[in-house]
Amino acid sequence: MSSFIERPRYLCPLGGALMAVTAIPRAIPIIHAAVGCAGNIIWGQNGGGGLQVGGYCGGLSMPSSNVQEREVVFGGGERLREEIRNTLEVMDGDLFFVLTGCVTEVIGDDIKAVVKEFQDEGVPITFAETGGFKGNSYYGYDLVLQSLFRNYIRRDAQKTAGKVNLFGIPPFMDVFWRGNLDELRLLLQKLGLTVNTFFTAADSLEGIKNAAEAELNIVVSDVYGVEAAEVFKELYGTPYIALSLPVGPAATDLFLRQVGDALSLDRQSIEQVVEQENRLYYHYLDPLAECYNDLDLQRYSVVVGDANYAVAITKFLADDLGWLPELAVCTDPLEESQQQRLASRLAGLESGIQPHVVFETDTSEIINHLNQRWPHNKSQKYYNAFSPAFVVGSSLDRELAISLGAPHLSVSFPVANRAVLDRGYSGYRGGLCLIEDLLSAAIAGR
Amino acid sequence: MSYLDQKEPPRREDRLKACIAYGGSICGMADRQKRCLQDDGERCFTQGSICLLLPGIAILNSIPDSVTLLHGAIGCGSCAHSQNANVRSGSGLRRGKVKDALWLSTALNETDVIGGGEAKLTEAIREADRRYRPSAIFVVSSCVPGIIGDDIEGVVERVQPQVNARIVPIHCEGFKTKVWATAYDAIYHGIGRVLLGEPEEYQPVLVDELGELKEKYRLSRTVNLMNVSSMGRGDEQELARLLRSLGLDVNIFPVFAHPEEMYKATQAAVSVSVCPTHDDYFLKYLQEKFGVPYIIKHMPIGIANTGNWIREVADFFGFQAQAEKLIATEEEEVQAALEEFRPVFAGKKVFVSAGEFRALATTQLLAELGFKIVGIRSFHHDEFAEEEYPKLAAYGEDFPFSIANAQPFEEANLLQRTKPDLFLGHWCSNATATKLGIATHVIYNTGLNYIGYQGAYELARRLYRQLKNPSFSKKLSRYARLPYTKQWYEADPFKYIKAVGSEPNV
Repeated sequence: MSSFIERPRYLCPLGGALMAVTAIPRAIPIIHAAVGCAGNIIWGQNGGGGLQVGGYCGGLSMPSSNVQEREVVFGGGERLREEIRNTLEVMDGDLFFVLTGCVTEVIGDDIKAVVKEFQDEGVPITFAETGGFKGNSYYGYDLVLQSLFRNYIRRDAQKTAGKVNLFGIPPFMDVFWRGNLDELRLLLQKLGLTVNTFFTAADSLEGIKNAAEAELNIVVSDVYGVEAAEVFKELYGTPYIALSLPVGPAATDLFLRQVGDALSLDRQSIEQVVEQENRLYYHYLDPLAECYNDLDLQRYSVVVGDANYAVAITKFLADDLGWLPELAVCTDPLEESQQQRLASRLAGLESGIQPHVVFETDTSEIINHLNQRWPHNKSQKYYNAFSPAFVVGSSLDRELAISLGAPHLSVSFPVANRAVLDRGYSGYRGGLCLIEDLLSAAIAGR
Repeated sequence: MSYLDQKEPPRREDRLKACIAYGGSICGMADRQKRCLQDDGERCFTQGSICLLLPGIAILNSIPDSVTLLHGAIGCGSCAHSQNANVRSGSGLRRGKVKDALWLSTALNETDVIGGGEAKLTEAIREADRRYRPSAIFVVSSCVPGIIGDDIEGVVERVQPQVNARIVPIHCEGFKTKVWATAYDAIYHGIGRVLLGEPEEYQPVLVDELGELKEKYRLSRTVNLMNVSSMGRGDEQELARLLRSLGLDVNIFPVFAHPEEMYKATQAAVSVSVCPTHDDYFLKYLQEKFGVPYIIKHMPIGIANTGNWIREVADFFGFQAQAEKLIATEEEEVQAALEEFRPVFAGKKVFVSAGEFRALATTQLLAELGFKIVGIRSFHHDEFAEEEYPKLAAYGEDFPFSIANAQPFEEANLLQRTKPDLFLGHWCSNATATKLGIATHVIYNTGLNYIGYQGAYELARRLYRQLKNPSFSKKLSRYARLPYTKQWYEADPFKYIKAVGSEPNV
């Protein structure tokens, strides 16, 4: 483990938690932290979030106790109490969510006790301890889910057949979160399921409160939200399945079948949906057949992304699009077991492509991994070059793309150079979107 | 004893009696009834804001051939993802190559919080030096090391002999000051202590006496043009153009200045600030230590302000006559060019929100353009702004004036009362006005021009564009909802400002 992380592609737990809370319908975050935490996080969103900053109560409108030296010395409990009290007067919300930062956690403020005082008064308020030294923003997302599961959802809910929760797509950290969640919900609805996704326009606090009615939790991530799913299971006995973010037909077929198996749905009706969706997908792909070949659009590729995208995009490129993703780089700092899990997802791909999977947090080191994998031209007359190539990554990977002479598409955080509103890459439609974006970048000079 | 002999600069609250909480009117400010001046006012409801780390990193990441090593938790420095756009375009425009900023984080974890982060920092400095071979490493400490008591200077002192890069400690512990402008002092403090030494060179065998005389002459007409990243390249070029037309040479400092060339700031004839909020700490030091005098008074945003800014510089060199000629020519040209927009601006109501001096200077420009000022929010107050309030109060009708480190809840309330046609706000602070349906324009963006005559014209051109079609805001406001209660819009916008030793204004 290096003594530093170069240009971290994630924020702190507070950052991820704030992004999640601002995505909950009519939720108001209350930050108990130093004055600059909010701004730093918003600037991060501004720069990396595909031009999306905040939700209903996002941006600099988030209440924050802005603790100072005085609170560091004497404790911040009283300041938090004052801030919550006044938040209730000024801010219009249906759920108040206290989130802590480094300073208030190091000084040991008893958040739970302060929050309880308000809960006892009937205020819809909860909290999560999201100090910056606990992990990164993906973990902050997980902590918010855990807090909802422990403190907010109805404990007496009756399990209802056909109801599921879907998570694993962190709002804003996955800049395509809205499109991704919407598409997967629509697909599951085609199986006859009722889906709670917590964070989209189709969700509500009432739906979130009733999350324990679900008979299954579906985590579309090998890492994000998995701990929360464990907590859910422990509290409510609800099983979960965790699978990679499904992008494109191959992964989405698998996704639908796995959900069907977990819920013991009728296999035939699953296959019907799979067949319909594939037919539609290839119907749209069909007219590309001329130009795809005329323009020679197959590419070697390097995929650089977070735990969700590094795997999902690589698999899509290899097994659906028929590209050659030789190197897959996951930029998250992960436990060894998590690394193994991600690597195993890219072993034995249907296409036979064997991407070299590396875990590297530091942007400027990525080129070295490719150089190790792909031998340099030693002035040979005949040289099997890594070309034509394409880099799918974050906006920080543009320099890598330039050094390879390759076009580039930002998909994983930070996405500084794209505007994203409801676009998504999940499911069948997402696969088509991704093809559009990849090929548009490849032929931009045409 | 100089402040720079200390490890850390003092807080602006202490050094300049700066404050961040006031609500009243511009005439109240002009009459010196500033509550916050007397008793360090605060709010008992606050929204999030920024700390000194943000403007700090914005400057440091621009420095070529350097790395910014953030010593703190992993999220401190996330702002760099946004500021990177400025580094990319700025290095492209100034140095001919688009380049991403390079920042690192020691990413302190729970173990470090308990055991201290000094060992990790030591290793991180060594590794950064080995891997990137930079000219300078800025070690920026954020909140956590400040609380757990890491001795940054001690680490730097021990590790400096082992590395090639010069290591510059910078203190940006966010909980220590309410006034983020302390960032400028923190950066200048580090640069002043470490990077101003002249590089040693071989003495030439043959002395080029004519060349030396020429250089001496050039330096006697060189101006340090201070830019802590409030100006983009376009704005720098505008001021350089005006100074050059007086026969002066320009050394822009410190943004995008190479660490090995920073000593040049100590050789200039005079230093000129473009924003009194930024530079006094360093300019005083340059004068004390290196005998470089300074000018810090006007911000060259606005036609009259730009003229006054030029006059101050010209006075120093005794170029008054040339300056008057330049100003007259420039004013005539820009006034003629602005004619086309004036009918659209005449009487339109505008609300301004920005950093202390920028808000006040931009308001003066807007008044020159024919707008009616209906409100100002400035991020903090200190002595440098004193002279500006009476100028604004003299425009006629009184209007609300507040001092707030952002706090959009007050802004939402004020905007509902004042109903402006146009809002100008800082970076990441324009969504409130937009969602209320108001035509909006950003008051600070290094990709745009604001400064000098060119800036006045370009800003006017952009405002004309916004007013010509504000449909984005208007349409969005039909469905967007701000997160405030109905009762809040009816309450006193300054309800939550309290003063030490007195009850809040509730």
